[in-house]
Amino acid sequence: MEQKKYWKGLEELHNTDAHQEIVKNEFSEELPFESEGLLNATTPRRDFLKYLGFTTAAAAIAASCETPVKKAIPYVNKPEEITPGVANYYASSYSIDGEYVPVVVKTREGRPIKLEGNTLSSITQGATSARVQGAVLSLYDTARLRFPSIGGTETTWAELDKQVGAALAGLGGAPVVLLSATLLSPTTKKVIGEFLAKYPNSRHVVYDAVSYSGMLQANEAAYGKRVIPSYHFENAKAIVSLGADFIGTWLNPVEYARQFAQTRKINAQKPEMSKLFAFESHMSLTGANADERYTHKPSESGAIALALLAAVGGSVTAPAIADKRVADGIQKAAKELKANAGKALVVSGSNDVNVQTIVNAINNIIGANGTTIDFASPSNYRQGIDSDMTKLVSDMNAGSIGAVLVLGTNPVYDYFESAKFAEGLKKVKLTVSFNERNDETTELCKYVAPDHHFLESWNDAEGRTGYYSFAQPTILPLFKTRAVQDTFLTWAGNTTAWADYLKNEWISKLGGQEAWDKALQDGVVEPAAAPALGGASFAGDIAGAAGKINSGKKGGKLELVLYEKVAIGSGKLANNPWLQEMPDPITRSTWGNYACISNKLAKTFSTQLGDDYEINAEKKVLKVKSNGKEIELPLLIVPGMHPEVIAIAVGYGRGEKVGRAAGGIGKNAYPFVSFNGQTFDYFTTDASVDATGTKEIVALTQTHNSYEGRPIVKETTLEEFIKNPKEVNEDRLELKKFGADFRKDATLYPNYSYPGIKWGMSIDLNTCFGCGACTIACQAENNVSVVGREEVAKAHEMHWIRIDRYFSGDEENPEVVFQPMLCQHCDNAPCENVCPVGATNHSSEGINQMAYNRCIGTRYCANNCPYKVRRLNWRDWNGADSFENNLYDVADMNDNLTRMVLNPDVVVRSRGVMEKCSFCVQRLQEAKLDAKKAGHPLKDGAAKTACQQACGADAIVFGNINDKNSEIYKIRNEMQTDRLYYVLEETHVLPSISYLAKIRNKDAAPKAEKESAHKEEAHHA
Amino acid sequence: MHLKYESTLREPLVDGVKDYHQVTEDIISPIEGKPGTLWYVGFFISLTLLGFGAFSVFWQIYFGVGVWNLNKTIGWGWDITNFVWWVGIGHAGTLISAILLLFRQGWRTGVNRAAEAMTIFAVMCAGQFPIIHMGRVWMAFFILPYPNTRGPVWVNFNSPLLWDVFAISTYFTVSLLFWYSGLLPDFASVRDRAKTKLRKLLYGVAAFGWTGSTKHWQRHEALSLVLAGLATPLVLSVHTIVSFDFATSVIPGWHTTIFPPYFVAGAIFSGFAMVQTLLIITRKILHLEEYITLGHMEAMNKVIVLTGSVVGCAYLTELFMAWYGANPYEFATFFKYRAAGPLGWSYWIMMTCNVITPQVFWFRKMRRSVAVTFVMSIIVNIGMWFERFVIICTSLYRDYLPSSWAYYRPSWPEVGFYMGTFGLFFTCYFLFAKYFPVIALAEIKSILKTSGENYKEKMVVYEEEPAEKFAHDVAHAH
Repeated sequence: MEQKKYWKGLEELHNTDAHQEIVKNEFSEELPFESEGLLNATTPRRDFLKYLGFTTAAAAIAASCETPVKKAIPYVNKPEEITPGVANYYASSYSIDGEYVPVVVKTREGRPIKLEGNTLSSITQGATSARVQGAVLSLYDTARLRFPSIGGTETTWAELDKQVGAALAGLGGAPVVLLSATLLSPTTKKVIGEFLAKYPNSRHVVYDAVSYSGMLQANEAAYGKRVIPSYHFENAKAIVSLGADFIGTWLNPVEYARQFAQTRKINAQKPEMSKLFAFESHMSLTGANADERYTHKPSESGAIALALLAAVGGSVTAPAIADKRVADGIQKAAKELKANAGKALVVSGSNDVNVQTIVNAINNIIGANGTTIDFASPSNYRQGIDSDMTKLVSDMNAGSIGAVLVLGTNPVYDYFESAKFAEGLKKVKLTVSFNERNDETTELCKYVAPDHHFLESWNDAEGRTGYYSFAQPTILPLFKTRAVQDTFLTWAGNTTAWADYLKNEWISKLGGQEAWDKALQDGVVEPAAAPALGGASFAGDIAGAAGKINSGKKGGKLELVLYEKVAIGSGKLANNPWLQEMPDPITRSTWGNYACISNKLAKTFSTQLGDDYEINAEKKVLKVKSNGKEIELPLLIVPGMHPEVIAIAVGYGRGEKVGRAAGGIGKNAYPFVSFNGQTFDYFTTDASVDATGTKEIVALTQTHNSYEGRPIVKETTLEEFIKNPKEVNEDRLELKKFGADFRKDATLYPNYSYPGIKWGMSIDLNTCFGCGACTIACQAENNVSVVGREEVAKAHEMHWIRIDRYFSGDEENPEVVFQPMLCQHCDNAPCENVCPVGATNHSSEGINQMAYNRCIGTRYCANNCPYKVRRLNWRDWNGADSFENNLYDVADMNDNLTRMVLNPDVVVRSRGVMEKCSFCVQRLQEAKLDAKKAGHPLKDGAAKTACQQACGADAIVFGNINDKNSEIYKIRNEMQTDRLYYVLEETHVLPSISYLAKIRNKDAAPKAEKESAHKEEAHHA
Repeated sequence: MHLKYESTLREPLVDGVKDYHQVTEDIISPIEGKPGTLWYVGFFISLTLLGFGAFSVFWQIYFGVGVWNLNKTIGWGWDITNFVWWVGIGHAGTLISAILLLFRQGWRTGVNRAAEAMTIFAVMCAGQFPIIHMGRVWMAFFILPYPNTRGPVWVNFNSPLLWDVFAISTYFTVSLLFWYSGLLPDFASVRDRAKTKLRKLLYGVAAFGWTGSTKHWQRHEALSLVLAGLATPLVLSVHTIVSFDFATSVIPGWHTTIFPPYFVAGAIFSGFAMVQTLLIITRKILHLEEYITLGHMEAMNKVIVLTGSVVGCAYLTELFMAWYGANPYEFATFFKYRAAGPLGWSYWIMMTCNVITPQVFWFRKMRRSVAVTFVMSIIVNIGMWFERFVIICTSLYRDYLPSSWAYYRPSWPEVGFYMGTFGLFFTCYFLFAKYFPVIALAEIKSILKTSGENYKEKMVVYEEEPAEKFAHDVAHAH
């Protein structure tokens, strides 16, 4: 057939250039927008209409659509033991920085979301601290190292093993040093031992950033054992703390605070309690809870110990104490110690061998050994010896160290001569870091072999000799990390996996698989019967120690003392946004450190407590100089500070690589540490401060310090309580004017009687030490948002439970009271009737509940809340909002990794919605359903709120007040009828939370005067 | 023919030589001509403020209420202060139009139109705040009780905030109707004079076919009275309900039974001050000095000094009760943290502006001074703004638990929002002044022949006549 060519026009027939061009651009129509910009458009009208249409549609979509639902994919095959919606619990151990807290990990759908104390441990008995509660968030820290690396580049474990193996082999006999923080794990130590045994001259140096070397060495000298004894505060009637913050930060505060709390529980039937004296330089949590508190300069701590020794009958000549109040206090404390011999205890926070020797001598005289101090089963909480570390640093600088392996410690940040350490590290041939993040030391190490988080690991811990706790993986490793023990085993040529190694070890110790399974299930292995407490014969050189104290550092005009904050500690958990935002128990500040000074010292910088100071978040910045170092920090006036002392918290001033929360917050105070030839001193005597003329925000959650004598806090003395237990609640008699039953008789409205369950809570002000564990427990349980420093300074923090801290009395020696404050679940709630949309209402069980979906955020409820416990979501903290790009997240809390910590039982609140304590309603529902399934009425204790569970002191009791067998019923109706009161009871809001009045074991009449109707005495303490 | 006689001892309400035509000319000609430069300048400034306000509101809605400096302790600040302030301002308009109508106060005719317009614009401004202040403004419709598929979930009828919704919306509706029905004959006058088709059409539509028939007038009068009857209780109830937002709470400084009368008096006080501010400007710009006379200003200044004193009395009563009531929290709020303390300065601004300075109006010379009146009207409005600020913020910032005490300074979007409502208010007012008859034409004509200066002069002859002669003449008029 003929191939005909059809053409449509001449141009096609001739195929001109112009035609080819047209054919090529056949579909050449541009996108409908005729120009790029709206304003410079050639025909702006049409574009304008397009833009208008587009933006209207977009706005309509943004306004009308709910937050997009992300798809959840169900399991194809359901894993055994995981039922969606049902939590699994695994026992584990928290042993960061030598603290020993056996825990139970709650996992949901394979994700650890909450830590609770392990009640089977006889040491902590289920107690936790804020740091323990916060530790679960560190698992999901976005700044954790995700893979092994060599010189900063990612590598495989095989390659790393190969290179490190070669490097170790090529050391030529130069010693290998493992540098670690205190390790509690006996099996890990065994693995380390096996590894180090391969290399001649190698050693394990234990270095604690906050060291207890002085104590270890003093005990070695006095008792022949380089150990920290176990303390039994629960046996003590008289306790003297010489700067040892055993409730907040000293050794294992979870254990001690719980023991101490047992001596503070009191009612009219058994009106007795221990008496705590505190001698310290700055206001610590222990000082705040002391019955009698005295301040001194840090350089005087030896003199105080000597004076106390002399006063209890020791044969030393004590230097005269210039301050009469303190001198009298020492006499008083000594009298109390002697009167309670065998039931007395003295502890000291000093890291000075001589001071600790004197303290040992005092404890020896007052019969503490074997009664309140136990050397038979000593504690392993700290093992670092400071001189080992200084020797290592000089060896490194001398070039005599072949390899340094860094495990869980960060000397480039927290060693006092960090530059020297960093310099020395450069001279070491092989540097390996096992740290979990790219911290200051890891950055300088060539090989980085990151360890698992403890919630991903197998491990054991021996907190007290003979008392073990275990750790098991609660989640598959999130990243390409490897257990450090596996690394050691590999490098030692042992092919056993660490999990098997540990198992074999314990099976052989316990005698079988079954026992091992039970150990893992219980989480702890302890002696069947508690071993008898054992003393030790004291053989310390008192005279020598006294001589050294007397010839030691003399005090300067101003002295500087370093301390650990309850939330941040040594700084290991610095990149934890929950802990950064936890208000410090004493200063109520968040996010950062500052120079704590007394009001008297502040006056020299023309600033002082008062309205101006209160209403301005920006505080004057001081330049603090000492030991030739200087840092600039904002000042913070802390009542109870010694007027010639500046206190600065360690653990801050981290680099940006440490993480977004910690990076750039505060200043590093470790350079002020000094070495006295034996141990580190955490104070200096030659400090000076100057104003810099600048100001910086200190984000406080509470700015007013006094409770203004209002009867919201009730307190009395032991003496008066014994005399007349009803006196503390005398003002409640006023309510009788309305009739026998204030609840029913003081209102015109009918009373609802709550026939079924009626939830109630009791908070004991005597055993609330203000530690903040409840705040963080609540945050973890209820997905409470983190807002950051700027927003805290604007009073936008979100905590559902806060601990109000009030000072009373004079500002140099104030008394402190802590009052946990949360939604009171009022039965006549002022918030409920003002909500225009009924978003907050009352349940038939007495819970004031929030319907977040219904809330439109008028804040009327918060205004009308007399307790000010309602919290608005001021910004989009959680991405739970219809608008794009308005997320306010300063700490990576919305990273998909971090969000794994969210409790799926609790909804994440969107921006603009009011929220507050729910009495952990999700837990109550679960407990009720469990009881229903089991076919019995709800048992007391089956439903616990997160705050209650976290409280080591059992200050919070919660339950069904209609259940006559419940503890809450007994407290309200039998045990504590004298101390019990309700905050703002006279407003007839009918709160569901009762408080128990605080009782101080002191002689003087209470300083806080009763408020009379027309005379409200302001003590702006 | 108007049969009412008014003594020449009474000041004329319309100065100058006027007849009906002249009145129409004076009032309608500004609508027909081009506005002056001042109008353009003012209008542009208002639009700018409105734009800035819109941006501030956008910023707040987009990023959240957290861009405001309100906090856990102080949940309401400038937002609700401004709300109450604007609502209060509106009250003078209603008082003038409704209560003074019922009391047959002739002088209201010169000022009622502008005052009513002010009411409407002020309520429009006020309404912004309770809506925009919400955390989730897109869910604002939850406050309306309507059948829904959520249960149905109903609003909480116990909440004073809900009462506000009803109070404000009723108030706005009634005020708008009242205002508009009064405008009908005047729109018809503009229509009838219109020389352009567009104007004829638009004003024709706006006039609803008003022909001026007797039937129209009769219905118009009846409607006015009915609406006045409806609006009269609103003058008292709206601000009473606004005061319930505070009075029904448990917060010391809010929980006060004196609030309803105190708020109403304050509202009228501030409303009249705002009317003065506006009319002094309007009469100057639109040359209406002969209609809005010194006599009008004096009458309103008398109301200001009366209500100012009522408010002052309330302040003192509050202080007395705080002491006498023997409630330590209330005592502390009033004496330590309101009259003193970090926010104490606001209390003294309030006291100075609302109680002390208005006392100058006891002097006739001051009442009749345009300059003094203008300055005082501004001072009173500042004072009344601070009154609301003092009530809201100084009660909240230091309430029961000292641990939660906080301080409050507004952030730029809060200030911007407030400025934006000024923009809205004046944009509306400028448009009103240009396109609407700012003086109620028909009403002023109704009193012209009894209270107009040139008509009153004619009465002098009769007044000088002996009573017997007058009686005789009247009796023998036929």
